[in-house]
Amino acid sequence: MEETVLAFFFFWAPGAVFVMGALMFLFAKESSVKRAGQILVGVGILTILLAPWTIPFSPSSSFGHFIGSIVGPTALLAVGIYNLSFSGNVPVGRLSMSERRSGIVMIMLGVLWFEGMHWWILTPTYPAEVNGYWFIFWSTTLLVSTGLAAGAIMLTRRVGDNRIQEQRLLTVVLLMLVSLVIMGFAFDGPRVDAERFAHEFWLAGADVFGMLVGFSLAIFVFAFVIAFYESQLPEPSRLPAPTEDELTRAAGIIAAHTEGGTSDE
Amino acid sequence: MSEQNSRASVVILGASFLFFPLLLCGLALVLYGHVTNGAFVRFGNSLLTSYTIASFVLLFSLFVYGDKRKRPISPLVGMLGAALVGVMVSFMFLSQGDLLMESNGSIRAQALSNIIRFSTTFIAISISALIVGGISFASLMNSPTKQHIFDEEE
Repeated sequence: MEETVLAFFFFWAPGAVFVMGALMFLFAKESSVKRAGQILVGVGILTILLAPWTIPFSPSSSFGHFIGSIVGPTALLAVGIYNLSFSGNVPVGRLSMSERRSGIVMIMLGVLWFEGMHWWILTPTYPAEVNGYWFIFWSTTLLVSTGLAAGAIMLTRRVGDNRIQEQRLLTVVLLMLVSLVIMGFAFDGPRVDAERFAHEFWLAGADVFGMLVGFSLAIFVFAFVIAFYESQLPEPSRLPAPTEDELTRAAGIIAAHTEGGTSDE
Repeated sequence: MSEQNSRASVVILGASFLFFPLLLCGLALVLYGHVTNGAFVRFGNSLLTSYTIASFVLLFSLFVYGDKRKRPISPLVGMLGAALVGVMVSFMFLSQGDLLMESNGSIRAQALSNIIRFSTTFIAISISALIVGGISFASLMNSPTKQHIFDEEE
């Protein structure tokens, strides 16, 4: 079979299935449709993960390799944060202290795994050079995380009350992220060149800024379409004004519910 | 005056999200002068791809909106038109030689590459939100419980 046809069946069709499943899960009301959406998401992502084996000749397969590379540390971070959060001051269903400790260990392992991709031999390499999608992912993650951490610090300062602990923790996270970026600019990793990282970091900025503008434009057009449609709708039919009898009856009902009682009430 | 203050605080809050990314991009530019190569192409491709994909997602969300409005057709047609404009503009710019083309052999390959890169950026932003939001939430849930919220409860 032709390579493009195989790439369609083993990468792009599963990608479309994944997107359809996600939309069904998010927007459907019936639980059976939601469950079908979950299954489609699972099938889609599994097929994409298998792309390095099913379509190794296609450039698209490096995306499957990239997804497979980040699944482990991302799962560790997600489960670790969940364990840490729900072992705190939760009134119902509080997790145990051992789960809290395992959560902290999972977060540390997840962070170390991601760092090992930059500063050690864990860099996703496919087939013989560093996976280009990992470069995009890593620089974008660091860029956006610094912005979100700084924003979250300001948010807790302005909105929260007595949130010193959160501000301190987020400041430590922000300093760590900024240090990692500056180290990435200054020093070469075993497989990651400092100059290439700086270039990818700048391009990540272009990607994120373009995405923000694109999303804003789409939302603006969406709002315009809805507002235009609503403005074209005919006025709802007005009821005739109440008669004297109806007004007298309404006044009687209001008086019956507002008069009487004591001043304490 | 208070309206001015609240507007200023919103501006400061928005600027705080942008300050460090811009600072670090500036640092990259100072250290390595030529890092901006290809930035405009990436920005253009990212803008068109995200606009088109977001338009299709919003078009899908109109089916939910339609449930509450006796399934009107005109917003669906309007949003479909807006999404198709995104597709057409993307292909028009990609067919203009080197304007938005990168190291891909054809317009189709560039469009597919844009979609994969969009997905990668989206995943990265989601994981960033998971890290920062998750750490904030975990810290919030592990902070000491406030015993007295209102004086009346004492």
